[in-house]
Amino acid sequence: MTPGCDDVLAACFLDEADAAVEAHVATCARCAAERERVGSVRALLAAATVPPPPPGLSAAVRRAAGPLLAANARRASRVLVARALAVALLVLPVVLLADLRVGTLVYGALTALLPRALGLYVVSSWAVTVTGLLALTYAAIPIFAERQAAALSRTIHG
Amino acid sequence: MATDEELIAAVARGDEVAFAALTRRWERPLFQFIHRHTGGRDVEDLYQETWLRVVRAGRRFDPARRFSTWLFQIALNLCRDWHRAQRADPVDPDDLDRMPAGGSSPDRAVDARRLLAALPEPQREAVILRYFHDLREDEAAEILGCPRGTVKSRLHHGLRKLMEIARR
Repeated sequence: MTPGCDDVLAACFLDEADAAVEAHVATCARCAAERERVGSVRALLAAATVPPPPPGLSAAVRRAAGPLLAANARRASRVLVARALAVALLVLPVVLLADLRVGTLVYGALTALLPRALGLYVVSSWAVTVTGLLALTYAAIPIFAERQAAALSRTIHG
Repeated sequence: MATDEELIAAVARGDEVAFAALTRRWERPLFQFIHRHTGGRDVEDLYQETWLRVVRAGRRFDPARRFSTWLFQIALNLCRDWHRAQRADPVDPDDLDRMPAGGSSPDRAVDARRLLAALPEPQREAVILRYFHDLREDEAAEILGCPRGTVKSRLHHGLRKLMEIARR
């Protein structure tokens, strides 16, 4: 595409003049004259230097952001635990139904071999053990969630 | 090295190390951006407020976008609010006629700032993003929240005005 005079002006200002722009300037007296003026504007703007940021500025920003970051961390932790619990609770009915089914089958088999009371005792003990293990598993979810968050952080910072 | 987008996701989870890395990475460009917009006034306050907004809004950051665009957008919005609050003292173009032709380097820096300040805000924003921060038209358009063609036209008109002033 052949550049127009407007494109030439911007290209010279932004120092993006390519071969097509150069070719246009070579044949257009108006653009050649404007290029000179653009150069003087560039020279003026080049003097618009900005001092470097004060040394303590970023440290002050980090201090000011501390409470906000802590709030973010608390929120993120709550969200992670809530998600993990939601997923775990989703499968809980299946686990309970499976346990109930296994318990019924085992109780049926035991009562065929042992006195009914002894069979009931064995199955009850098993049910209590399974319930305890499930409670421990669910209680460990927040700990695992926290470790997961820490591992993610380590991945980012190498 | 973690990308800006990974770091901002970590900041949203409250990661202080990620925040320190982000502020180190963007300290100078952001400071310069705000400095040029306000002519050097209230830069530190606006700089700090920009980062606090980044931390507050971190979890709403869209990972499909570029962090730099989002960061400059926040800073630009703050600068616009600042200009409105200041009812920025307008630069009289006649004052620019009295700009010395030569002069020492600090004088020229002041002249350059006054030259920029003489532009209407939309044109000044386009010039700062395209010329000083070397952003592409589409990036500048996203930050300014306008179509690419508008950036092009603002830059063109801004440039014409700068040339007109510089010619005096």
